[in-house]
Amino acid sequence: MAAPVPPGAPRPGFNPPPPPNYNPSFQRNPDSLADNMQNLHINRLHSMPNSAPTRPPPPFGQSPSPFPPSATPSSAFPGVAPVSQHGPSPGALARPMMPPSGPPQTTLPPNVAPGRPSGPPGAQPSPFASRPHPGSLSSSMAGPVVPPSGSPPAPPPGAFPSSGFSSGPLVPPPFGARPGAFGSSPLTTGSVVPPSSAPGTMSNGPPVFASGALAGGPYFPSAGSLQQPPVGPPSTMMSTRGPTQALSMRSFIGSAPASAPLGPPGQPAPPFSAAPQGIPPPPGSPYGSQAWPMQPRQVAPPPQIPGSVQPPRMFGMPPPHLPNQSMAAIPPAMGQTGTPMAGPSKIDPNQIPRPVPSSTVILHETRQGNQANPPPPATSEYIVRDTGNCSPRYMRCTINQIPCTVDLLTTSGMQLALLVQPLAIPHPSEEPIQIVDFGESGPVRCSRCKGYINPFMKFIDQGRRFICNLCGFTDETPRDYHCNLGPDGRRRDADERPELCRGTVEFVATKEYMVRDPMPAVFFFLIDVSMNALQTGATAAACSAISQVIADLPEGPRTMVGIATFDSTIHFYNLKRALQQPLMLIVPDVQDVYTPLQTDVIVQLSECRQHLDLLLENIPTMFQNNRTAESAFGAAIKAAFLAMKSTGGKLLVFQSVLPSVGIGALSAREAEGRTNISAGEKEAHKLLQPADKTLKTMAIEFAEYQVCVDIFITTQTYVDIASISVIPRTTGGQVYYYYPFSALSDPAKLYNDLRWNVTRPQGFEAVMRVRCSQGLQVQEYSGNFCKRIPTDVDLPGIDCDKTIMVSLKHDDKLQDGSECSFQCALLYTTVYGQRRIRVTTLSLPCTSMLSNLFRSADLDTQFACFLKQVASEIPSSPLLQVREQVTNLCINILHSYRKFCATVSSSGQLILPEALKLLPLYNLALTKSTGLRTDGRIDDRSFWINYVSSLSTPSAIPLVYPRMIAIHDLNSKEGDGSLIPPVIPLSSEHLSDEGVYLLENGEDGLIYIGNSTDPDILRQLFGISAVDEIPTQFVLQQYDNPLSKKLNDVVNEIRRQRCSYLRLKLCKKGDSSGMLFLSYMVEDKTPSGVSYVEFLVHIHRQIQSKMP
Amino acid sequence: MAEFVDLESQDGVRMPWNVLPGTKQESTNCVVPVSAIYTPLKPFPNMPVLPYSPLRCRTCRSVLNPFSIVDFMAKIWICPFCFQRNHFPPHYASISDDNLPAELFPQYTTIEYESPSENSSVPPVFMFVVDTCIIEEEMAFLKSALSQAVDLLPDTSLVGLITFGTYVHVHELGFGQIPKAHVFKGSKDISKDQLLEHMSFFVKKPKPTTGVIAGARDGLSAESISRFLVPASECEFALNSVLEELQKDPWAVPADQRATRCTSTALSVAASLLGACVPGSGARIMAFVGGPSTEGPGAIVSKILSEPIRSHKDLDKDSAPHYHKAVKFYDGLSKQLVHQGHVLDLFAGALDQVGVAELKIAVERTGGLVVLAESFGHSVFKDSLKHVFQSSDYDLGLSTNGIFEINCSKDIKVQGIIGPCASLEKKGPLCSETVVGQGSSSAWKMCGLDKATSLCLIFEIAKKDSSDAISQSASNQFYFQFLTYYQHSSGQMRLRATTLSRRYIAGPGSIQDLIAGFDQEAAAVVMARLVSFKMETEAEFDPIRWLDKSLIQICSRFGDYQKDSPSSFSLSPRLSIFPQFMFHLRRSQFVQVFNNSPDETAYFRMILNRENVANSVVMIQPSLISYSFHSAPEPVLLDVAAIAADRILLLDSYFTVVVFHGATIAQWRNAGYHNQPEHEVFAQLLRAPRDDADAIIKERFPVPRLVICDQHGSQARFLLAKLNPSATYSSDASPRPGGDIIFTDDVSFEVFLDHLQRLAVQ
Repeated sequence: MAAPVPPGAPRPGFNPPPPPNYNPSFQRNPDSLADNMQNLHINRLHSMPNSAPTRPPPPFGQSPSPFPPSATPSSAFPGVAPVSQHGPSPGALARPMMPPSGPPQTTLPPNVAPGRPSGPPGAQPSPFASRPHPGSLSSSMAGPVVPPSGSPPAPPPGAFPSSGFSSGPLVPPPFGARPGAFGSSPLTTGSVVPPSSAPGTMSNGPPVFASGALAGGPYFPSAGSLQQPPVGPPSTMMSTRGPTQALSMRSFIGSAPASAPLGPPGQPAPPFSAAPQGIPPPPGSPYGSQAWPMQPRQVAPPPQIPGSVQPPRMFGMPPPHLPNQSMAAIPPAMGQTGTPMAGPSKIDPNQIPRPVPSSTVILHETRQGNQANPPPPATSEYIVRDTGNCSPRYMRCTINQIPCTVDLLTTSGMQLALLVQPLAIPHPSEEPIQIVDFGESGPVRCSRCKGYINPFMKFIDQGRRFICNLCGFTDETPRDYHCNLGPDGRRRDADERPELCRGTVEFVATKEYMVRDPMPAVFFFLIDVSMNALQTGATAAACSAISQVIADLPEGPRTMVGIATFDSTIHFYNLKRALQQPLMLIVPDVQDVYTPLQTDVIVQLSECRQHLDLLLENIPTMFQNNRTAESAFGAAIKAAFLAMKSTGGKLLVFQSVLPSVGIGALSAREAEGRTNISAGEKEAHKLLQPADKTLKTMAIEFAEYQVCVDIFITTQTYVDIASISVIPRTTGGQVYYYYPFSALSDPAKLYNDLRWNVTRPQGFEAVMRVRCSQGLQVQEYSGNFCKRIPTDVDLPGIDCDKTIMVSLKHDDKLQDGSECSFQCALLYTTVYGQRRIRVTTLSLPCTSMLSNLFRSADLDTQFACFLKQVASEIPSSPLLQVREQVTNLCINILHSYRKFCATVSSSGQLILPEALKLLPLYNLALTKSTGLRTDGRIDDRSFWINYVSSLSTPSAIPLVYPRMIAIHDLNSKEGDGSLIPPVIPLSSEHLSDEGVYLLENGEDGLIYIGNSTDPDILRQLFGISAVDEIPTQFVLQQYDNPLSKKLNDVVNEIRRQRCSYLRLKLCKKGDSSGMLFLSYMVEDKTPSGVSYVEFLVHIHRQIQSKMP
Repeated sequence: MAEFVDLESQDGVRMPWNVLPGTKQESTNCVVPVSAIYTPLKPFPNMPVLPYSPLRCRTCRSVLNPFSIVDFMAKIWICPFCFQRNHFPPHYASISDDNLPAELFPQYTTIEYESPSENSSVPPVFMFVVDTCIIEEEMAFLKSALSQAVDLLPDTSLVGLITFGTYVHVHELGFGQIPKAHVFKGSKDISKDQLLEHMSFFVKKPKPTTGVIAGARDGLSAESISRFLVPASECEFALNSVLEELQKDPWAVPADQRATRCTSTALSVAASLLGACVPGSGARIMAFVGGPSTEGPGAIVSKILSEPIRSHKDLDKDSAPHYHKAVKFYDGLSKQLVHQGHVLDLFAGALDQVGVAELKIAVERTGGLVVLAESFGHSVFKDSLKHVFQSSDYDLGLSTNGIFEINCSKDIKVQGIIGPCASLEKKGPLCSETVVGQGSSSAWKMCGLDKATSLCLIFEIAKKDSSDAISQSASNQFYFQFLTYYQHSSGQMRLRATTLSRRYIAGPGSIQDLIAGFDQEAAAVVMARLVSFKMETEAEFDPIRWLDKSLIQICSRFGDYQKDSPSSFSLSPRLSIFPQFMFHLRRSQFVQVFNNSPDETAYFRMILNRENVANSVVMIQPSLISYSFHSAPEPVLLDVAAIAADRILLLDSYFTVVVFHGATIAQWRNAGYHNQPEHEVFAQLLRAPRDDADAIIKERFPVPRLVICDQHGSQARFLLAKLNPSATYSSDASPRPGGDIIFTDDVSFEVFLDHLQRLAVQ
């Protein structure tokens, strides 16, 4: 994993191979990441069988050897039996990757394919000159970039909606029925105000092309020479089809371009010419299969269906939901509103807005024509070119235009906040962040607000002075930084200096930024060895995970490790090399803890590797007969903290039971609440608050000494996450929750989580501050950190997954037409001990037009913010109130839009701003999510709340609106452009009794098996012959059949996308697991909430009641 | 004097007054109290060990003895103490005048019982408590000494290990897989209950709610005990590997500070651990301490180096801030240990003081051993430690868990015992109101005792006046019975019974009888123990004055003189050396404490308080033997006049053995004459004192320090300090050639005697 040479080599343009200036951790990102992710999915090897034939040479020739046939993965690693079954040999996986690193090309495939979520690494070809079809690819790359700048794409959005309303129901578009669907619905999804500037509003254009091209791109090689001929067509297709089809789609649904990539590789135009080519349309257009079934029926039912060779399954479903029938059900509901609603205003549940994820890669330039370019949705896949503004990965705003006044913002009902993810992982094809070293003087900063130099600082007076874009102060340019201005008013060297042309740069910190030498990378593992932990296998799993992860820790003398175990006492281990064996040191006093040794408890990794291996192997047996059921968790972390106090570092805790003794002991509040129902009901949310202040006080102390705590909870019982999670939240760590822990299925996830935790890009002893232009100020930060002074947040640990929400408030009026800047500065220490300042700057236009706000609203970001706010409300407010708040937010925004922006006069129509059209769905889903349900376990809810607090924007949506796909018919999707089959709306109507479905939210993966599933499918997928045999504990295995292979590929792909190893669980219709699955069907009417349609009706009613 | 030694060799008892003053008034006049120095476990080659339980008096519980009056016909015996008539039990049916049980044989006044029923042999327990705040070099010495000691342990004995520095590490030797230690904070005292909880002793069973939580009887599983106490045969590897890897306390010590050493906490943990595991059975805590305790309740000095460790002066002025707290702590510890029946042994190896003065109370009350050496590499430590474990002719015969009881005739009361024991507060008519040492009891706990342990019992004659009826009574005998139950080193429980009878006398004319029964050596030792005790317990006590007064009183009472005529003064031979003993006692380390640190003084006194009369006399007045060509080795006066250029002197002051070569001898030796065959005689002369010194060293515990020096050499001070300064720099007569003078202002013995005579006759 330490051989990231290939990526460096192909990019000679940016940095010479010996990267003195490189931030190692980031330089490695793509690759180390890639390797990490490989291990997230066990059967990685099989995810690329397609490409094997086309690239005969070394990579695949070699890789199989380390991985013997998948059928017997465990045999190769007998030692790690439980793990080897799922994430077998992760260690082994990583290592085999290294040898091939010699010949650069050989490593490419592994890096490329798994390197980044979602396979289509279309953008990579261009940097990698060695790719097979550079020519075609680069041309295809070029293609997409051009169109957006051209005007053609722009008008349609404006034009279409209007036509869509009227003509939709009558004249369905011939090719894809979706536009028509909207037309027929009473909902208006189009943006009403015609975009004034062509490229500005609808940047979806490029993706369309990009996806078309790119989807094909990566597969060309894989398709091999056989597929060569079609290479030609795509390009032609693009040019011809682009304007017509793609644009028309775009206008309705932001993510519409999804349809473009549907085509199987090498068969560029399946959606249009499916039948002629003899390829069954449904599988050929997977997205269509969900959304379309209705439309053909509604409009011209038969034509396409007969043509399809294989209609049965998907088409078998719709009939009960024939539009007329489903409509029939709705009107009464609508009727209640009293609004006169005619036939056309009936709600068709199949036509209401739903997320349609795009699997195409969007190319995004952060600024174009010296204007901020609204970023693509956070949930989409995109490649960013930093042209002044930072990549939206690092920082995005809820609205891409800043309201000039606070009134405007209030009117809109929206909120203004930034989501900052300072160490987010860039796409592998993106240019790495540049490191700027100003030498001893340090980075140039505004002398008043201390803002860092950035592309928006305006140099005046022949470059002798500059005006700070944040506070407006005029500073002298330091003499050695002086440069003349060009005719355009820019410094002549602006393009050569990253800090003057890039939205994100990293400065080398000088002594001034250090209170001490940069801390070493300290990893301290703390393992629960109480009776329960041992008996459930949690201890063994933790030890095995740690011992495998040791190999992945950064090399070098700066990496230190320590280990301790605990039950009712705390056991440290002296790992000093001189000792023949590690010495166990028990700290029995759990009321007044201490560290037993000053040194030798934490030692350099290189010095203690053998001791560690031995110890980790021995721990489970050593405590085998432990009868101590008590857990001194609080005391243990305190003691570990004391051991780490001098350096700081990461404390990784594996905990299995409720802390019952010593400092910070907790009681089983949940049970108490149950026995005392009256009190429990009234103050239910109190259980979601920490039990007392002890842990908080401790956590603040930890943070002060730069100790970041991550807790892996492997439990069978209530552990009071509400109280425990205070520690990771305050120290920049996170909670991992394995409930109920299964020794069979969870070790693999535990290992992968741990591995990702220590190998992902991260920093230590960090301080972060966000500055913004005059007129705005930071109101509040929220996330996992410790705040001691109002302006800064202290982050003992910060990693690529952590996001911090920064809410903003106006303190003055902004000028229309001006720009408003936000700058996030993160001072941190890399795992290699360099002190860095990562500066991320975003400049957005100000507007005084409400419609601009709605048009530039960023739904994903808005929702993520809202999610975080709601989560933080839950512990302190009654649940009903919170739910109401969720609904009201939606109503307020839509009402504001309806009132001030919508031009449609019919009051019978619910009008949704295009950018926010999914807001009702997400908000509905939110009210039904774990955190807002009353039937959930307290710990589940606490975990959910905690999970949300540091959640990144791209992960926020799936958490509440998971992705569901059918997996029983994966085989029939042969030739599809995307690995992942089309998404099914979360409604039980779409579940068939014969089907098998996978639902994932980035954390859990539920596999639902219908009652009448074909036994053959069960056998192929799970190795069982009947539904009755469904095991409660599930381990995904790969059997020797194509379906199983596909499933594994799909799961692995999802793992890559989410950077998370899903916790897979089988759900059977009719039992509790089935209920769990069905509880995710957020569009259904459930005990905890209304159906999607009903919700829309409710909202509509509320808005109408507000209208004069 | 020989008859007293004979008496001692029969019963292990020496008494200053072998004919007792008969009344309270008389005894007060005798100045030296009625007392006895008893060595309970003194080995007697001919003493029988009876394999049955003793027969006891129904009322006073005294044991059948040769002084009992036996009616063979009625099968009745009369107790000499309470005159209770007791029937013999059935198994004594065959008793008759010519078929006596051993306990009635007149020569077996001291006899042992070993009852088979109590033959539950519990292995001895050794808990090593090792200081790690010492320099590497010392650590190496200590490690090697310890591993040697471990080798010598009996295979069955249970061994535990605690190391300490900043923290206390309790090593779990029974944990096979990896070395394991429980770590306790040194600054915090941990109670036994906390310890039980911390060590998860009762993890499987509920802890008994009431009563003493103790050992296997209270439900502590053998398994959990065996975690910490492991048979020596099984733990040798574990113990050695721990010892081998034992490192200096890793916590950094600032240059201006002392190491953080929590001796008291470590000892407390050790005591609690033993109390939890093996209460009531013999166990020793062997503490190896390399410096002053600076942490925890028993700290003797703060960590700041600029603060000096307390001196006698500080103690006198009560300006030692830590002293009383520490003593109080160790007092509590000693109570705990006594309660549990466990011993604390102290091995100090440091140039600095380690806190022996504070620890004294705990060591002495539990009957522990104490060794004070300046380094763990010094032979005083190394050989002493070996001596503890080595089985040889001179082994200590370590026994444990003893209870000492006393019975005496009704006119005698017990004031207390000065010696290594602890009062059990068993009150009775026997106990005097006046308490000396461990008193207010007729029973004492002796957690640790050995062959040499000697108690000094102080009695009080309670009889008010010499009524004729009593003086006329037939016997005029007082009876004493000393009963010692103890756990023999073999593990069995034994009872040793010593029964004594002493004639008493009262009224005029009794002086000569009293003089005849006066044992001046025993008297000197009793005075030495008394003066030490008073110096430690009585504020503003002036030992010199008290000793002088006592001596003058004795001399004026028992001396032969005409009033106001000093020259007429003479003493009976029974008393003649006593003034000399007192003269040397006044000069000894027991009284002249200011030359020594409080630690040293405590050490000397602890040894004094446990040794028998012969050894104690050597401490008071060292023996000096002269070796020369002119005569065979002969004892010479402890006087500077004994020094001659052609002599070798061997001084035995108990703690130090000095071989002193006269100037000429030294020259010859330096010239190497003894290596030349023609000077074999000289070689023999050189060797003789060395051989004798080795013989002394071999049998003595603690091993004395051997000093070999030459006249006018610096080390000669060890000899000169002990000599009577008959010739000083200020004396008129110049020393004879080859002799020496002492640079001192101390008075010589002659001057002392002159004054004594003058004052005695007034």
